[in-house]
Amino acid sequence: MNEQLAFWVLAAIAVLGALVAVRKRNLIHGVFALLVFFAGLSGLFLLLLAEFIAAVQVLVYIGAVGVLLLFAIMLTERVAGDGGQRMTSRGWFWGLVMAVAVFVVLLLPAIQQLPSPEAAQPIKPSVEELGKKLMDPYVVTLEVMALLLTAALIGAVTAAQGVRMPKEEDSPE
Amino acid sequence: MTLHHYLILAAVLFCVGLMGAFTRRNAIVVLFSVEIMLNAANLNFIAFWRYSDNPELLHGPMFTLFAIAVAAAEVAVGLALVIAVYRHFKTVDLESIDTLREE
Repeated sequence: MNEQLAFWVLAAIAVLGALVAVRKRNLIHGVFALLVFFAGLSGLFLLLLAEFIAAVQVLVYIGAVGVLLLFAIMLTERVAGDGGQRMTSRGWFWGLVMAVAVFVVLLLPAIQQLPSPEAAQPIKPSVEELGKKLMDPYVVTLEVMALLLTAALIGAVTAAQGVRMPKEEDSPE
Repeated sequence: MTLHHYLILAAVLFCVGLMGAFTRRNAIVVLFSVEIMLNAANLNFIAFWRYSDNPELLHGPMFTLFAIAVAAAEVAVGLALVIAVYRHFKTVDLESIDTLREE
């Protein structure tokens, strides 16, 4: 009973947060709505007993990604959002149609009344086991991930500081 | 709560993200719409893990953990690219960045 209540409240928070985030004209407000969405999703992870993932969600998304997005917006936008300009793209209607179509396709399996498996009995906290698994079967993946993050770090710095473009010559007309 | 509740919720969230990516003009909004979609997929991973036969194998959380790491790298590089684009074009409006379009 309590679980149901928690699910519906968290689901509402997540969906509303996501909707506000993609529809808000003011980007700063949009990012804060996005943070609410991340928090709701973290709650859902807790509800599914994935406590470590919930913590990582808070640390990485609310902590790092949110601040990064805020910085990027403040570096590139007039913060209040310029009132006059259109905010949707040219083909927005077809984009909307596509999104709804994808939603219907995703829902098809639910309509077919597939058997719904039962949740396993309360499971043990998984942090310790996760750590062990990262060291034993997944160690190569972990190393690749470290490499990826390093490459992303270097790539991000290089891209953001701006490569000095070779002087554009007048193109032959 | 059944598995279906979580799957439908993830589908809704995914399509909200898709809608944002398709209908907004601002590059940063498109970027965080992609984040919303990635998070919806993570929710699916965790839900399937919770309702699987042997959750002690921890495949779901492990997958999600790596997906989050990749998403973090993607956001960092994506925002760096947005800043580079802004420096070049003085805008992040995706419709005015159309140098490659045939006239």
